Amino acid sequence: MKILTCPMNGPRNIDEFQSFGPVRAEPDPDMTADADWSRHLFRAENRRGMVVEWWRHVPSNYFFLAERDLVTNEIIRTFDASERRAQS
Amino acid sequence: MPLRLLKYGLSRTYPVSGDIPATPDLKPSYDVVIVGGGGHGLSCAHHLSKYHGISSVAVIEKGYLAGGNTARNTTTIRSNYITPEGIAFYKEAVELFENLSQELDFNVMFSQRGQLTLAHTEATLRSFHARAEMGKHLGTRTEVIDQKAVEELVPSLNMDYGGALEILGGLWHADGGTARHDAVAWGYAAQASRRGVEIHQRTEVEGFEVVGDQVRAVRTNRGRIACGQVLIATGGMNYDVAMMAGVELPIRCYPLQAMVTQPLKPWLHTLVSSVSLHTYLVQSSRGEVVIGGGSDPYQLYSTRSTLDMKEHLSEGAVHLFPFLQGVRLLRQWAGVTDMTPDYSPIMGASPLENLWLDCGWGTWGFKATPVAGKRMAQAIATGRVPDILKPFALERFETFRLLNEMGATAASH
Amino acid sequence: MNRLAEPWGSRIDRSRPIPFTFEGKHFEGYAGDSIASALAASGQWVLSRSFKYHRPRGILSMTGADANTLVQLPSEPNVAADRTPISTGLRVSAQNVNGSLERDRDAIIDRLGRFLPVGFYYRTFMGPRRDSWLKFWEPMIRRKAGLGVVDTTAPHRHFDKTHLHCDILVVGAGPAGLNAAIIAAEGGADVVLCDENPEIGGSLTYGRYDPAMLVDLSSRLRALPNLRLLIGTVCNGWYEDNWLPLIQGDRLHRTRARAVILATGSIEQPAIFRNNDLPGIMLGSAAQRLIRHYGVRPGQKAVVLATSDEGYCVALDLVEAGVSVMLVADPRSSSETGPFEAELHGKGVTIQKAATIDAAEGTAGNRHLSRVRVGGSWIECDLLAVSAGQVPAWQLPCQAGARVGYDADSGSMTLTLPKAPIHLAGAVSRGSDLQGAIASGRQAAAAALSRLGQAVVEDRIPNKPTITSRLHVEPIVANPKGRDFVDFDEDLQVKDLLNAVKEGYREIELVKRFTTVGMGPSQGRHSALATARIVAEATNRTVAEVGITTARPPVGPETLGVLAGHHEPLERRTALHARHLALNAVMKPVGAWWRPYFYGEASEAEKAIRGEITAVREGVGLLDVSTLGKLELRGPDAGAFLDRLYTMAHANQPVGRVRYCLMLNEMGSVVDDGVAYRMAEDRFYVTATTGAVARVYADMLFWNAQWRLRVDVLNLTGVFSGLNVTGPKARSVLEALDSDIDFGREAFPYLSGREGVVAGVPVRVMRIGFTGELSYELHCPSSLAPALWDAVMTAGKPYGLKPYGLEASRILRLEKGHILIGQDTDAITTPDELGFGWAVSKKKPFFVGKRSIEMRARLGQARKLVSLRFPADARDTPGESCLVLRGNAPVGQITSVGFSPTLGCTIALAYVHVTDATEGSRVTVKCRNGQLVEAPVVGHAFFDPANARQEM
Repeated sequence: MKILTCPMNGPRNIDEFQSFGPVRAEPDPDMTADADWSRHLFRAENRRGMVVEWWRHVPSNYFFLAERDLVTNEIIRTFDASERRAQS
Repeated sequence: MPLRLLKYGLSRTYPVSGDIPATPDLKPSYDVVIVGGGGHGLSCAHHLSKYHGISSVAVIEKGYLAGGNTARNTTTIRSNYITPEGIAFYKEAVELFENLSQELDFNVMFSQRGQLTLAHTEATLRSFHARAEMGKHLGTRTEVIDQKAVEELVPSLNMDYGGALEILGGLWHADGGTARHDAVAWGYAAQASRRGVEIHQRTEVEGFEVVGDQVRAVRTNRGRIACGQVLIATGGMNYDVAMMAGVELPIRCYPLQAMVTQPLKPWLHTLVSSVSLHTYLVQSSRGEVVIGGGSDPYQLYSTRSTLDMKEHLSEGAVHLFPFLQGVRLLRQWAGVTDMTPDYSPIMGASPLENLWLDCGWGTWGFKATPVAGKRMAQAIATGRVPDILKPFALERFETFRLLNEMGATAASH
Repeated sequence: MNRLAEPWGSRIDRSRPIPFTFEGKHFEGYAGDSIASALAASGQWVLSRSFKYHRPRGILSMTGADANTLVQLPSEPNVAADRTPISTGLRVSAQNVNGSLERDRDAIIDRLGRFLPVGFYYRTFMGPRRDSWLKFWEPMIRRKAGLGVVDTTAPHRHFDKTHLHCDILVVGAGPAGLNAAIIAAEGGADVVLCDENPEIGGSLTYGRYDPAMLVDLSSRLRALPNLRLLIGTVCNGWYEDNWLPLIQGDRLHRTRARAVILATGSIEQPAIFRNNDLPGIMLGSAAQRLIRHYGVRPGQKAVVLATSDEGYCVALDLVEAGVSVMLVADPRSSSETGPFEAELHGKGVTIQKAATIDAAEGTAGNRHLSRVRVGGSWIECDLLAVSAGQVPAWQLPCQAGARVGYDADSGSMTLTLPKAPIHLAGAVSRGSDLQGAIASGRQAAAAALSRLGQAVVEDRIPNKPTITSRLHVEPIVANPKGRDFVDFDEDLQVKDLLNAVKEGYREIELVKRFTTVGMGPSQGRHSALATARIVAEATNRTVAEVGITTARPPVGPETLGVLAGHHEPLERRTALHARHLALNAVMKPVGAWWRPYFYGEASEAEKAIRGEITAVREGVGLLDVSTLGKLELRGPDAGAFLDRLYTMAHANQPVGRVRYCLMLNEMGSVVDDGVAYRMAEDRFYVTATTGAVARVYADMLFWNAQWRLRVDVLNLTGVFSGLNVTGPKARSVLEALDSDIDFGREAFPYLSGREGVVAGVPVRVMRIGFTGELSYELHCPSSLAPALWDAVMTAGKPYGLKPYGLEASRILRLEKGHILIGQDTDAITTPDELGFGWAVSKKKPFFVGKRSIEMRARLGQARKLVSLRFPADARDTPGESCLVLRGNAPVGQITSVGFSPTLGCTIALAYVHVTDATEGSRVTVKCRNGQLVEAPVVGHAFFDPANARQEM
């Protein structure tokens, strides 16, 4: 069982967590053309390399972000979503 | 004893058939470059060379022949899908399998012993009726059967009367079966190479030279190849390879795991799968019980195995057949599946004029090996996408013409 | 007959004889004997017939890792006879025999081998008819394939699982592992040491070593309270982040270790020559195990193939056990002299240098070894001990990411460690003598301790190990006549691999797949390196270029039982479960929940269900709706949050009002519905469908992790129970109860909610319902639900109140044309397709799915959900999922159907082509029996289309 380190609860078995997939762009629906909108809906970050993705620690219902390598499955780091907002 | 075996027994030296020629030097150009030497790519090469007279074909394989998902899948062949488009396509797949050994003069061991999918809930039973009604209408052998018929088909099943997971009925698909996955790929490889197709193992694509809406050449670790047409059929690598040509596919990769027991004398004659338990079992010609289930819960390109999935699949197998407790597991493995949003493949044209797609095969690609190869060859040779492939076009995600197959694939592949 | 006197036989207890049977014959062994050792002691050497050629096979390794010793127990196939202890009355039989082990009719196949070359089944069995494979050839092959037989009536066994945590897990309690574990524990680490054998010591227990060393290690080990020893425990895999399954009998220890030391030793390799598979030919270490562990003399007259000192030790052991050693054949040149040569000479044993075994012959039917050929001359013997090289036990390191290499100079497999916190110790890391193994164990412990940041006592750090011997490879003497087996499990000979290469299967994985080499029970333990060497030579490449096939978990065969453990499917019961049972309800599972299907005798289902429907339509009924999803949203932004999540407007919803809510996904497909009751300005109580609530709840939290509105969401699904009181007399029932709520029509109108107390139970009540009748839905804390149920039942008695079940509820809602999410909708259903335009706000600037449904509306819709009414006298009526056809093309399906007793006919919801969706259109439906029937599209609600009754 892989370990995922929750920023709030520390290292836990990964079966305590639920993946919500890579962080997606948030286009303004009203400013986006149909073709771009459908691309937004169906595309997914899937490059061989690092992704930033949402995870939920199910027992505590805490959502946070993780940087993970899609090839090696290495979790590079996990952090609270506020950190990302502070950066952007 | 079949006559063919006499040839071996009576020859002084082993009579070599030479199924797979050694990798030749790359030529500067080919009419068709097929990226991916798995079942689909080889099938396409076979159909191009045999039925369309196109033999200037290079099949480019990064590793060894058919070593990706062709080698890793659990070989289910079936057509009990949900949508008319899906059923029509997979029906042709099954029909081609019925004749494949003869077509290839290579025994692919198509074993049409039927597939039984079990319902433990009313909702599942309802979805079975939907598949059965559509399947029957389109000429496949798909029917909903009751508890008694389930017991007669597989007497060793734990029906668990009274429990929360009692078996309420099943979807019996007499057309379902399995084939020897490697043999399918090798048979196509042997046929195609006899007609001049070149198979290049250990040849990795590093990029495409795209000018305007044309792919001019494929760059590989062994050199540049100019190309007329290009087909991408690289299984778990489809997203990445298409991206090299600037085409972004709506694909996410997930590992799919499976495992196999030691060889046992035959006791399970059909494929058995359970929707609620996310488990399926089939006993191979070798006597091994192959056990599989659903994909991993998060995106990953790795073919590592997990203990969790093995425990989960064992729970399901032991629930269905409690006497398997004492049976020993020999091996587990994984493949990387390229999943699309509607659990259906992406076949046909790409935004580039001479780049063709045979992608998005997720967990259900093996069964389509003959039909996808046949129909993609037709598309490449004629420049026109055959009607049977049109519903699977990449554009469907822009026009919301999704194929409503969500649900048909869980734990059945 | 072959039993040696004490002190030989460390594992057996001669005071406890154990009777058992093999192939119906009676045998006796001692407590502690394995099946194979007990049989060998009695002179029974043949244990099995081989997979393809049905050749007799016997003891090879005594490690439980080869197919030679697989036998059948009554309820367990493929049991390793050299690992499994005997027990009183155990019935053991041979597997894969046609007739008996002694007289196997399929042994004829051995003579037909030339007609069955490698991969023969790919080239034939295709005719004469297209289905000949399925109908004729495959059944024949399936009968011949497989080894053991499963007992489909095997009794249930109990398996369980535990969790173990430690600082350092040491796998293997041989000299390296013992030293590693002791140093690690003495350094303060919390250590688990496991070994698959019934005792510690590894090679110290069967090799030619000073017994004092093991005694010393054992006492040091037992003095360490922070060292936990698990014997009889195999570490059967390595998974990410040092997650390791330790299997101890019927128990699985799921183990997390901060660091792992793999001291898994090496695997002795067989030699390849003609008839190298005969019973009587065994690995040198197997002979030593028989002698020291079981006190069994492995033969009378022996030849030893020795490529290192270890082989000489085997020869010395054999001499001491009373075996006549005829010859030691040593392929090395005469210049290489080891320390044991003189000792052997002293005992009168002949040593022949630069010699190897190039063939063997057997007794009649190849039942036992009779002689071996060395350098052209035959030597009679009944035992050949092969001590011809080892490979590291690479499986666990490889699973942990180590890369296998090959050192051509020494002819050894090498392992390069991955980044993970694992360390190698002893023979698995490199060939070395005992001192070297001890030193590398100590080094590994020091490295693991420092990785964990634990202090390492200075004087414990040993010097670098001195390597005095190296791993070495077995000779390969291919024979033109074959039977020179590379893989015993799969009966593969050298020529099989060469022929595969000739066919073009040049890559090692293709060779494996084409020939099945390494795919049998031993998973390549005894064949992987030899295969790589043969393929390398045949393809003019180095072994390193060819590579070794991947080692996948598990390390050794493991039962499905131990992996599954003790598993009960999860199921949920509402707080009213006992009430339903007391009322004679027929219960059905719905998802994880048990729900009443109807109340009454199973034989009178139809009557009972009709009675329940009539009660609701004419009197009053009571339904347990506790399985509904129940969510509470609190905070100043609760209304704004619901506005973004659901299609209707909730921010402006007055307090005390209840509103329908419809949830879409981003694609614009309908995923859930329910109602939202605004209990206060900053507080909503929202229901969700039973099956969807877990996902809806998670999605709410996920969206708000991004939106960051000031709202909290609580999932009250299990905490609250729900009772729906419905029917024209519902108000009378509730008014008869002691309550502070005014249930009057004006005071408590349709689609409003109230909080209060009913019969002493705090409740939140909503005037909603699925039945179309006057309905009150009472939600209360689950602990009080039985009391509320009892009160309602009592108050309802004068009004003929009947509890009703799922089936009546299904019909009642269908009569009203109410949809069920997941049944009447699928993954692409839009609100438009449901005719739910009324439920979608046109004013809100945003809600999830809004952009997509607008776009999808522009693209046009192909189908629509409508109500169909079938004639009362129809002979054929469709079932659920029957097709709606247009011409002969399927355009939709029936999603819900049932006979309405209220209307006296069959009614249904169905998707039809959008042009047929108007009221009065006629559509064609294909019944399950293939008959086509026509039905008119009717207005959405079949019953009470004006919806007057629910607003009474």
